[in-house]
Amino acid sequence: MPTHPSLILGPELTRFVTGGVSINAGSASAAGVPSLCRAFGCRVDSAAGRLRLFFAGPQAVDLVRDAGRSGALAVVFSEPSTHRTIQVKGQDARIEPLADGDLACVTAYRAAFAQSLVFLGFTEAMVRTLLDCPDEALVAVAFTPSVLFNATPGAQAGTPLAPALIPSLIPTPPLTPGAV
Amino acid sequence: MIPVRALRDCLDGVIPGVVSTCAADGTPNVAYMSQGQYLDEGHVALSYQFFNRTHQNLLANPRVTLGLIHPQTAQQYRLHLVYERTETRGPVFESMKAKLAGIASHTGMSGVFRLLGSDIYRIEGAEVVPGSTLPAPSPAVDPLLALRTCMERLPTSPDAESLLDALLDGLQAHFAIEQALVMMLDPRRDRLYTVASRGYATSGVGSEIPVGDGVIGVAARERTPIRISHVTSEYAYGLAMREGAERQGMGDRLETEIPFPGLAAPGSQLAVPIPGAHEPLGVLFVESPTEMRFTHADEDALVALATQVGGLFRLFLAELELGDEAQPGAARETRPEGPPLRVRHYAANDSVFMGDDYLIKGVAGNILWTLLQDHLALGRTQFSNRELRADPRVRLPDQSDNLEARLVLLHRRLAERGACVQMEKTGRGRFRLRVDRPLELEDMDAGA
Repeated sequence: MPTHPSLILGPELTRFVTGGVSINAGSASAAGVPSLCRAFGCRVDSAAGRLRLFFAGPQAVDLVRDAGRSGALAVVFSEPSTHRTIQVKGQDARIEPLADGDLACVTAYRAAFAQSLVFLGFTEAMVRTLLDCPDEALVAVAFTPSVLFNATPGAQAGTPLAPALIPSLIPTPPLTPGAV
Repeated sequence: MIPVRALRDCLDGVIPGVVSTCAADGTPNVAYMSQGQYLDEGHVALSYQFFNRTHQNLLANPRVTLGLIHPQTAQQYRLHLVYERTETRGPVFESMKAKLAGIASHTGMSGVFRLLGSDIYRIEGAEVVPGSTLPAPSPAVDPLLALRTCMERLPTSPDAESLLDALLDGLQAHFAIEQALVMMLDPRRDRLYTVASRGYATSGVGSEIPVGDGVIGVAARERTPIRISHVTSEYAYGLAMREGAERQGMGDRLETEIPFPGLAAPGSQLAVPIPGAHEPLGVLFVESPTEMRFTHADEDALVALATQVGGLFRLFLAELELGDEAQPGAARETRPEGPPLRVRHYAANDSVFMGDDYLIKGVAGNILWTLLQDHLALGRTQFSNRELRADPRVRLPDQSDNLEARLVLLHRRLAERGACVQMEKTGRGRFRLRVDRPLELEDMDAGA
């Protein structure tokens, strides 16, 4: 696994992780018990080279505890219609207060994710329910990407990606229902 | 704790689960899981499709957290699991393999999703993730009430044939299942033959499927229900079967093939073994053009029905053993008049042709040939199931053979073909042979 202290996501990859993709993040306790939580959107801070993820606080208790302790975070971004999936890992995850524009980002994410799933036959009510959370309960976790994988299902899954090469390395299967 | 019903819905593959693992150095990993299967209150199986980071992590640290979403209510759950082992054969593996093929086809991942194994996990804990949910839709059919209503009628059936009718009628009336059939196992030939069906253009009675072929054959071989929500060509019956029949030898020449009656483009299928004392007696099979038609509750209900049908079948067989001695043949009946019909019997596969029309083969063919021989030589028309069981000419594979099912098959084939020979029930385990034309029997040499 190549490690890069800080990977800068190019424009195409930035568009991908901030679009209507499914986002799930994992960490682990000191005893090696994995934690897991669905995220409600992602912001890319290009200047700082960091990603910001948003979670419903009550759903993310274990994840926030574990990531806050170790800094280790793994995040999978998957486009339901194509299965295109990437995994980003970091070692410096930190819980941060919500900043300007974060709520607007979550609102935009809900609309984008609903749109991509309604296209696959799910109801908007279903997706909105899944992503429902009072604003005051949202929490933000930020980290610097240090490892990037192609995680699209298939033999190539797990291939490390150099950010500059990402668009050509990720295959695009036909439009079909996939990960939510 | 998560209600079992909700857990099973979540694992079905409508929305892929998310698996979080952790390497020895503490690095987390998150991956998607295509399909899971509820095994019992303490275990689930997850599909293992690629040797990926998840599997590498499992070897070092068997702990997994699995995230699930209920496809109707949006309720999220998390299961805390410990990896125990990977199975690469057997009922769990085969059932998951069939389902995964359907999921792969449905999601455009055929050729990419292939089941390498079923990972078996112990459930250490379960949590209901706090969040908003939708009300669960109420099903169109209450499966428990449908099961009760359907079951009540089965034990009143006096014989195997009316039992099968009651079963298939009940599925139609109470479960709104329009396409259904029952196949029985011929253990000697490792094949299943159709004895009754509903909802098809032709009944397909007498059509055969090798054990291990498609959802029905795999359900029989593995003795496990197989339920597919998106049917793929890999498990569909059709042209491939007929081509397979063509390639086989004299024993299964195409002219003796009765087409399998299944839907041309099924969306959902469910095959449930009918349990016997040792091997399954057969398989109950239902299908629908609609995808995701059959639920876990349907599967549960059909397993209960198939278990009852299996028990009743065995009861019929036991009653046969205790039944009255065969009645001596009644007075000779008047011989029919008219031009004789040539009836040929091929010893190679016991196929019987009435004139030029193929009628039946195998044990049922042998039964018919035995009846016709006695009819012509002795003028007999009255027969009992029990004497047939003891008759060495019938050559039953063994004493526990499901003779009742073979007689149902023979009766239905004769009736469907409008043959000049018919079987008429005269009492429990007894029937009369009605012959409307003079017959000429011709025993053909093996291989002719």
